Amino acid sequence: MKRIFGIAALALVVISGWAFAQVEITWWHAMSGARLGVVESIVDEFNATHPGIVVKPLFTGSYAETLTKFIAAYRTGTAPNLVQVYEVGTQTMIDSGAIIPVYQLPEMFGEEWDWGQYIIPILNYYSVDGNLWSMPFNSSTAMLYYNKDLFAKAGLDPNKPPTTWAEVEEVGKKLLESGVVEHVLSFGWPGWIFEQMHAYHNQLFANNDNGRSGLATKVLFNQDFGVMVLNTWTRLAQEGIFLYGGPEYSANQAFISGQIAMLIQSTSSLAGIEKASDFEVGTSFLPRFEGYPMGNSVIGGASLWVTKGQSEAELKAVWEFLKFLGRTEIAIQWHKGTGYFPTVNSAVKALLDEGWFSKDQNFLTAFLQILSGRRDTAAAAGVRLGPFVEIRELERAAIEKAVSGVMSPKEALDEAAQKANQLLEEYAKVAGS
Amino acid sequence: MPQDRFPGHRLLPYLLVFPSLAVIVVFLIIPFIQSVKMSFYKMSPFGTRLIYVGFDNYRQLFSSPDYLHSVVITLIFSVFVILVGLGLSLAIALALNQRIRGKGFYQVALIWTYALSPAVAGTIWALMFAPATGIMPYIISKLSGGYKLNWMTNPTVALLVVSAAATWKMLGYNIVFYIAGLQNVPGELLEAARVDGAGPWQTFWRVTFPMLSPTTTFLLFVNMLYAFFQVFGLIDIMTRGGPGNATEILVYKLYRDGFIHLKSGYAAAQSFVIFIVIAVLAVLQLRVATRKAVYAR
Amino acid sequence: MKRKTLYQLFIHGFLILSVFIIAFPVLYALITSTLSFSDAFSYPPKLVPGRHFFENAAEAWNRVHMGRLMFNSAVVSVSVAVVKIILSLMAAFAYTHFRFRGQGLLFALCMVTQMLPLPVRIVPTFELMRAFGWIDTYWALTVPFFASTTGILLFRQFFLTVPRDLSDAARVDGAGPMRYFFQILIPISKTNIAALFVIEFIFMWSQYLWPLIVTNSREMRVVQIGLKMLLASEQQAPEWNVIMAGTVIAMLPPLIVLIIFRRSFAQGIAMQTEK
Repeated sequence: MKRIFGIAALALVVISGWAFAQVEITWWHAMSGARLGVVESIVDEFNATHPGIVVKPLFTGSYAETLTKFIAAYRTGTAPNLVQVYEVGTQTMIDSGAIIPVYQLPEMFGEEWDWGQYIIPILNYYSVDGNLWSMPFNSSTAMLYYNKDLFAKAGLDPNKPPTTWAEVEEVGKKLLESGVVEHVLSFGWPGWIFEQMHAYHNQLFANNDNGRSGLATKVLFNQDFGVMVLNTWTRLAQEGIFLYGGPEYSANQAFISGQIAMLIQSTSSLAGIEKASDFEVGTSFLPRFEGYPMGNSVIGGASLWVTKGQSEAELKAVWEFLKFLGRTEIAIQWHKGTGYFPTVNSAVKALLDEGWFSKDQNFLTAFLQILSGRRDTAAAAGVRLGPFVEIRELERAAIEKAVSGVMSPKEALDEAAQKANQLLEEYAKVAGS
Repeated sequence: MPQDRFPGHRLLPYLLVFPSLAVIVVFLIIPFIQSVKMSFYKMSPFGTRLIYVGFDNYRQLFSSPDYLHSVVITLIFSVFVILVGLGLSLAIALALNQRIRGKGFYQVALIWTYALSPAVAGTIWALMFAPATGIMPYIISKLSGGYKLNWMTNPTVALLVVSAAATWKMLGYNIVFYIAGLQNVPGELLEAARVDGAGPWQTFWRVTFPMLSPTTTFLLFVNMLYAFFQVFGLIDIMTRGGPGNATEILVYKLYRDGFIHLKSGYAAAQSFVIFIVIAVLAVLQLRVATRKAVYAR
Repeated sequence: MKRKTLYQLFIHGFLILSVFIIAFPVLYALITSTLSFSDAFSYPPKLVPGRHFFENAAEAWNRVHMGRLMFNSAVVSVSVAVVKIILSLMAAFAYTHFRFRGQGLLFALCMVTQMLPLPVRIVPTFELMRAFGWIDTYWALTVPFFASTTGILLFRQFFLTVPRDLSDAARVDGAGPMRYFFQILIPISKTNIAALFVIEFIFMWSQYLWPLIVTNSREMRVVQIGLKMLLASEQQAPEWNVIMAGTVIAMLPPLIVLIIFRRSFAQGIAMQTEK
């Protein structure tokens, strides 16, 4: 009797041990502020519905800090299973030898996966030769925000925002004349917006198909188009219309407090801006330069990368989590909580069906902009560069120099381009795979 | 020159310095050596490729016009931080040492700011000086009849604001040590000076300031280290080295190259150069100060 | 009598102005922590306190699990401050009261090794932590900070000015160096010790980058990482009220330390030489 009992007990222990054997997945991310809460609730939901897997999200600083920490960890064998890396780090990650491209995961487990369910421009951004390397997670693009109340005060039609840069100048002059604001337009992330202008008009930013068919070796932003853009911005600055908004998001403050009437900013800022401002917020597509072709606005944000060197059980768990993130209701939850694009088409459809966009038209602007643009050219897909972070800083420095009058736009861009080309050359030698 | 005040104890001094040295050798020297080694290589971000380049990193550094610019900016910045920082905090410490009511409150209020998180301090300064919405441009425009302070488009203003922020950050630190140092000025000396008919100004220069020399030496050294090595976080939050590269001090450039651009070899070369410069400056400074301290005795 | 009050007035005026200018950012943080979300964005900036402090503070506390963070920061800050002071006192004593071989070189070594900028040291030191198995432990957060250029220098400069008579008197009394160290040298260094403790505590309390790199779990993180978690990442509208409430909470332990030790470094001690 005792013996049977003993065996039964042992069996129970073994079975329960096996049943409760959990796979732990660590995920390093850079989501802070209100987004942190959304990340945690999504992870909690996943953990609750997937016994046997525990995803542990960890905030690891800014994007740059997260990447540096990841590299240090990878090189010492203590890397997490999943890491969030900013879009400018894409080429670095591709060349890192430290990750497993996402498209290989379903194959590993004998699954079929429809990659077409993801929003095409986002999918294209993170793909190499048609294969998806990192999982889209938090993507946004830029759009024009404007203060309807101030427009009305200045005698302008609050439902007709400027659609071209020429109109921006016109509207700007009227707003200044009416005295409702001292400056009209601002934007942060100058490098990103500069790239936006290129992609938006189907202009290549670098050679080798924007760095997508091979490593880029030369930048093209100091050619006629780029110079024209910076000339425009410099002129607008001199006219008092454009107020340079610094390297990051300080322009938001000016817009929210009614000091400026227009803001070019990420689509993911919409909810925050609407909540913080006490006026009616309008949105519109990015202003165009007339006479140039149509492209698309560029994706910004970050994506998720799967680390190499994991056990198969861990990879399976990671894959389950990635699939979970692509579920319609989760994608909707992410979008509603953070303002980033939902990653899958089905979510967009569901949002349309439930009337989400008719409740607040502004949320539709971002989608319409990106879904109505071109998706077939390398220029519209956005540029991919190895030393992207540094080149973006060169762009920023050039814009700052031009706008503050230290150099002419052409000189500033030429200087930046020359340095950028050197960086590209060095990258190819040292880091290119 | 240190005197042998307890002759015959041969082993004791080594035992006393051993713990500090042990930590220093393991945690500072080893990484130091590795970093110097690194400066002769170029490495891919993930370490997949390590290419020996000899002095190329250094060559690249010295032939870059940006680097020279950065050196100048750093010098201006450091001199500001050190002189204004020490001068202002000494003045304040003197005031805080007087017999006045509410001394404790003032002391706490002025020193507590040192505890403000660097990330938040930088953010607040950025907010305070933001061109269209910050309180400082607002005040300045009211006071000056309309001058619009915009640090994002004016390189000089940007450097000034950033220097002020960095100096401000260290004021609490400097004040603490000056107050502590002032306590060690013997009351009898001050009394003697007063009896001799010396006014407050003379008393200060002839008695107080010399007696403060250990503190001043110390603070000079620390502020130098601070200005040259520790402010990269502040600059990252406030200006990112901009506008253009008007506030790109050497350590920020190095931080960006190493941490954000992932160019470890290049950053290592930059840090070795700064190291040499500061080491020389520090040795000189300490030599002078030590000699003076001996004479004062 | 009049001159005295005029003088007092001048000092007070100067101090009040200083407090206003220097403490302004802290005042700003305090006020913003009491506002509601949208009030924090008004222009001209609101300088009148609101009534939302406790809800903002609760939000900040819960969101980043402040309790654990503050505990870790406290452990780290106190232990490093204490050990650093002890080690610095010992080393400075050796460098100033003895002559031994290699003394100059060793002192230079102590000074000079901290002149290598932190960003470059981080990854090699991290790899060292990995080798020791210290990642994600209190060891990694504290031990690398135990040796201090600043502490050694502070006490060295101060000890150099200590008159020879003191140590000679001790020797005549038959006291050995260590008794002299404990019974004479340390007591007269009281103000500097107290000052250094406050400073080192706050310095460790404000560490961000190193703890970020070297900890991998929520249980080991420190206050500064929590504050960074509150700060908005790219392109959001930051919740200034919550961020500042968190900042204020994070500043309380340093404030307490400062208040406790203020008397120790700001109160004169009579030089006991005549006795």
